[in-house]
Amino acid sequence: MFYSHFCIPFIVGTVILFVTILYRYVMWIADLPKSDKRLIVKGLFTTATLRSIWETIRESLLHVSIFKRNALLGYMHCSLAFGWFLLIVVGWIETTAYMGAEFVPLQGHVFFRYFAIGIDNHIVTFDHIMDALLLFVLSGVALAWFKRLKSKHLGMRKTTKHTIGDRIALSFLWFIFPTRLVAESITAAVYGGGGFVTANIGAALNNILPASLLTGAFEPIWWIYSCALGGFFIAMPHSRYMHIFTEVPLIFLRNYRLRVRQSQSSYDNFQVQACSRCGICIDACQLQSQLGHNNVQSVYFLRDRRANSLNMNVASDCLMCGRCADRCPVGIDLNSLRLNSRAAMRNMPNERRYNYFNALDRSTGEGKVGYFAGCMTMLTPHTLTAMQTIFTAAGEDVWWADRDGGVCCGRPLRLTGETDSANKMVQYNTALFRKHGITTLVTSCPICLKTFREDYNLEGIEILHHSQYILRLINSGKISLQHSDNKTFTYHDPCELGRGNGIYDEPRSVITAIGTLIEPKHHHRDSLCCGSSLANTVISDSEQITISSSLTLELEATGAKTLVTACPLCKKALGRTTQQKIVDLSEIVATNLNTKP
Amino acid sequence: MATNFGFSISKPRVIDVDTNNLKKSNEILAALPELQSCIGCGSCTASCTAGNLTSYNFRKVHTLVRRGEYAGAYEEMNKCMLCGKCRLLCPRGINTRRVVMLIKKCLGDF
Amino acid sequence: MSKRVVVVGGGISGMQTALSLKSLGFEPLILEQSRQLGGKVADWHLLFPSFTPAEEVTVPLIRAVRQNGILVRLGCKVVSIESRRVILCSGERIDCDAVVLCSGSTLFDATIKEEYGYGIYDNVYTSADIEKMMNNECVATASGAAPERIAILHCVGSRDEKVCQRHCSKVCCITGVKQAIELKKLFPKAEIFNFYMDIRMFGPGYEELYRQAQIDYNIHFVRGRISEASPLMDGRVQIKAEDTLTGRPLRMSVDMLVLMIGMRANDDNAFLSSSSGAELAPNGFFKSRNSFVDNVLSTKDGIFLAGTVSSPKTIGQSLNEATTVAHRVAEYLNYGN
Repeated sequence: MFYSHFCIPFIVGTVILFVTILYRYVMWIADLPKSDKRLIVKGLFTTATLRSIWETIRESLLHVSIFKRNALLGYMHCSLAFGWFLLIVVGWIETTAYMGAEFVPLQGHVFFRYFAIGIDNHIVTFDHIMDALLLFVLSGVALAWFKRLKSKHLGMRKTTKHTIGDRIALSFLWFIFPTRLVAESITAAVYGGGGFVTANIGAALNNILPASLLTGAFEPIWWIYSCALGGFFIAMPHSRYMHIFTEVPLIFLRNYRLRVRQSQSSYDNFQVQACSRCGICIDACQLQSQLGHNNVQSVYFLRDRRANSLNMNVASDCLMCGRCADRCPVGIDLNSLRLNSRAAMRNMPNERRYNYFNALDRSTGEGKVGYFAGCMTMLTPHTLTAMQTIFTAAGEDVWWADRDGGVCCGRPLRLTGETDSANKMVQYNTALFRKHGITTLVTSCPICLKTFREDYNLEGIEILHHSQYILRLINSGKISLQHSDNKTFTYHDPCELGRGNGIYDEPRSVITAIGTLIEPKHHHRDSLCCGSSLANTVISDSEQITISSSLTLELEATGAKTLVTACPLCKKALGRTTQQKIVDLSEIVATNLNTKP
Repeated sequence: MATNFGFSISKPRVIDVDTNNLKKSNEILAALPELQSCIGCGSCTASCTAGNLTSYNFRKVHTLVRRGEYAGAYEEMNKCMLCGKCRLLCPRGINTRRVVMLIKKCLGDF
Repeated sequence: MSKRVVVVGGGISGMQTALSLKSLGFEPLILEQSRQLGGKVADWHLLFPSFTPAEEVTVPLIRAVRQNGILVRLGCKVVSIESRRVILCSGERIDCDAVVLCSGSTLFDATIKEEYGYGIYDNVYTSADIEKMMNNECVATASGAAPERIAILHCVGSRDEKVCQRHCSKVCCITGVKQAIELKKLFPKAEIFNFYMDIRMFGPGYEELYRQAQIDYNIHFVRGRISEASPLMDGRVQIKAEDTLTGRPLRMSVDMLVLMIGMRANDDNAFLSSSSGAELAPNGFFKSRNSFVDNVLSTKDGIFLAGTVSSPKTIGQSLNEATTVAHRVAEYLNYGN
């Protein structure tokens, strides 16, 4: 009963879609590293699964995080995803209501209005609900069209440039719901029935078109609808719409604590293919907004990586400031993926490299607290002298790791993809810290901090940024500061400290202990990058200045007397483009110390 | 073998530009024209974290490479830790880290 | 009634411009933002390459300005220049027939080059500090001792993309040589090292002075730019450079580090340019109409340039421009352009 020839394109498309996707997922999961598989098994019967289900509903269907960014854009994504989902679910309930427990093949659910023509006991409520849902989805399609023309109204300055495959799939997708509307309306016109939308349109069609034309169009329009569905399903796994399904396993795997690794792994497939190319990352990118670099943003990086056509320039032209990852509605680990792409291109295992580290130790002093200034901090000696002052005031014995020249933390090499070389530095520095028996490691460089926390195994040693350390000294009463509301500061969140390490509050608490803090336009998770990031090896000096200038303007616009940051690289970058005073957090502490009571 | 690479970066011999093949050098300069603006002030080498610990001399290596003297350049550049101090100092605004990466890429086979 | 020309700035260029204009029958008015005439040269001790006391230049000029009854207003900052009108920060408007910008340049703020430690630790000085110390006859280290070893670093804040000052400041090379000799004369036992990227001895007698510094005063010249300076426990400063001629890193502890700071464009240039329509060069100095016959003309009619407002210059060159600009103003006011 539930078959007609027009269903063939739909059935073929569906079969191809599910075979393709199933094959891919099985292969990807089979290729996962053993430890990842263990994580899945371990996580399967825990609350992680429940959390994943909830997250799937919230993000894959309702798109809550996009709603938070822009309500209209959120509505567009929600209406398409959740609307379509409801059409399927309610459609299934509808057929069940009519047919009871009887088996209905898939096409029977999808083309129910076609097969329901002869059925008795019409349930009008379902017709209305299904019409309302169709309207809901169509409003999303209309918004998507509108977004093509005026993306600004949906909160997007720039939208993604799509590939040909995406355009084909997109065209099919845009066709699906309008043809469904027309097909159901013509059905209503010819055979009666239909909900408040299709019945009315059907009546209108009856008024303006001859009955013979409508009867003639009846079969073909269902064919077109079926073709649109089938075509979309075939194109889907080869286009950005692969994300529709992939987002779901990604959410589960992520909750089972699978992570992107230093080198590429099968888990990356789920990450890469979960990108919907929504383009939200493009506006976040300062390389786009300030420099007009248009083909390097995360959406394009993932596109190229998916197509195996990634080149060194696209992989390297990124500040890794994390602004895009912070906004990504799918929560893709963009920086880690870019890093392991770089590693795939540049990592060169070589045992002979860096053997000059052997038996090297230029550290000075002695104490349980170790201070690792970082290479860059050597070029901001104000920070060094300020830290010295603070250590002395607090009466702390300090072991200085690198005042007379040390070995780099390794993160700069890691950022360019030379993971094995970076790991040599990790080994060296770890051994050095252990040898001197420190229990606290303080650094003034957020770049070092990040790698100490993520790539070093420093169990037993507490790793602190100097902002955290200073705040601790204040809270424990080891140092006290002179406060005056007249001292005004603005604070720039360094990328690696803020988004990179989640340290936002400590520097602010230190500043407010001294004076008044005025936030710039972009702050906390939304703060801008200074442009001097070590992660980017492509942009030129003058391009760095362009990025830094735009940040400086925002900081100066606060009217604060002093610009404060907490990263030597940011300080250097900002110092190039401002005439105002730019200082490290430690400097304002050192100059506002109360002499010991 | 582990320590002796069989070359020396400061061989006391003529830089024979007539016989040196500048193809690789030109490739590097085409990828990063600003390298040609180096005035050899030595800021990079003076501040160099690796140069502080070894005989690595960034300025000398890239200058030799530009003259077509490639021997040992790759191995020397492998001493660099890419920390980026030099880039913060270069008065000509040269993307020094890119120079290291380019030389490693172009001369990796030497 | 003779035509009025506003001269912005009362340094040597401004004074000479006013004097020349007066002798051509115009009525110049000098607007000087500080409380005295003389500009930067007034702070200098001896002038290169002849070791002439700076007051031999400034004092006669100031005297001539007074004797010729030239109108001078001190403590007047110009905030805007419109056609035939200058507006002061007090809001006062002064009508005039032409404007000559002689507002000079600004000395580079050495604290921006943080790696040299200026303003952070003792015994790091700028060339301007040394001139002041010489004027006050108090050249010594922070502890008051006679320095035994001095490093002089050229090109601080000039030819440096990292501080957005691309241009060559022109006079610092010869100033470095001059101060090295002066310091050697003061402290004959001291070793003096000049660190340079290039030595540019373009003027008459400069090359000779350079040779003299090397041969007669045994001043060392090291080709390499200092990258960092750090403090030592005893108050001295340790500097790091590459001795590029030997290709090896060099370390040295010195009692004094002297930074040869360059000239950079005044911050004021930006609004003087936007209000007047006279364009700026990319380095922020005022743009001359061309480098040849019209080098004292700005890109806007009726606004003229003399001295270091358009680029770093020596005293002699600035004074020459001041004389020239008066004639170009006369041409403009008498015949139109």
